[in-house]
Amino acid sequence: MIHTRPDRDGQEQLGLLGAAWEEAVPYWQDEVARQFDTGHWTPLVQRSTTYLEALGALVDLLETADRDTDF
Amino acid sequence: MTKIHADIDALKGLHEAMVRFRHVQRSVAERGNDEIELTRAALTAKAGHWQARLEQSQAEFDACRAGPGADCSGYARAVEQAGEQLEHIRGWQQRVDEAAGEFRGTAGAFWDLLQNDLPRAESHLLALIADLEAARRAS
Repeated sequence: MIHTRPDRDGQEQLGLLGAAWEEAVPYWQDEVARQFDTGHWTPLVQRSTTYLEALGALVDLLETADRDTDF
Repeated sequence: MTKIHADIDALKGLHEAMVRFRHVQRSVAERGNDEIELTRAALTAKAGHWQARLEQSQAEFDACRAGPGADCSGYARAVEQAGEQLEHIRGWQQRVDEAAGEFRGTAGAFWDLLQNDLPRAESHLLALIADLEAARRAS
């Protein structure tokens, strides 16, 4: 079984969501779209990015802790 | 008419991606918590192992010193090494606890996003799609 890091799976999924947004945006250029961007999309991306970066740093630390205590 | 079709398909695609994102990220968040607990459990097991080694080495050292004129330096070294390993592991336990504590706030905010804000955004998008479909039917 291949063990993948959760932060990398999360980053991949954030990339897929970003691609779906990029596909929708060219066809959606009205005031409602701008409100959705400001009210939902931008906070979603910012908070997801903050979380996934923090998770990545934590998983790095956990892996180092595991390696560094294998005597 | 073509433009509205394109709008609806693209927004439906975005909605599906958001739903998928929410499900996958919930699993990511749960796995993140699992990683913390697995590491804590592994460090606890290692600390237990070295604590037992330390106690055993100490007992051997004490028994050696109780005898007359024996060279106990090897036992003394074993006690020192076990103590250092144990101290090293305890240092990592503390670092992991601190990092997990700092992470908890960010993780909580993200969980709240997945449980509340994201479903609201999905509902908002579904309502927009329904409006567009109604407008298309009316035209």
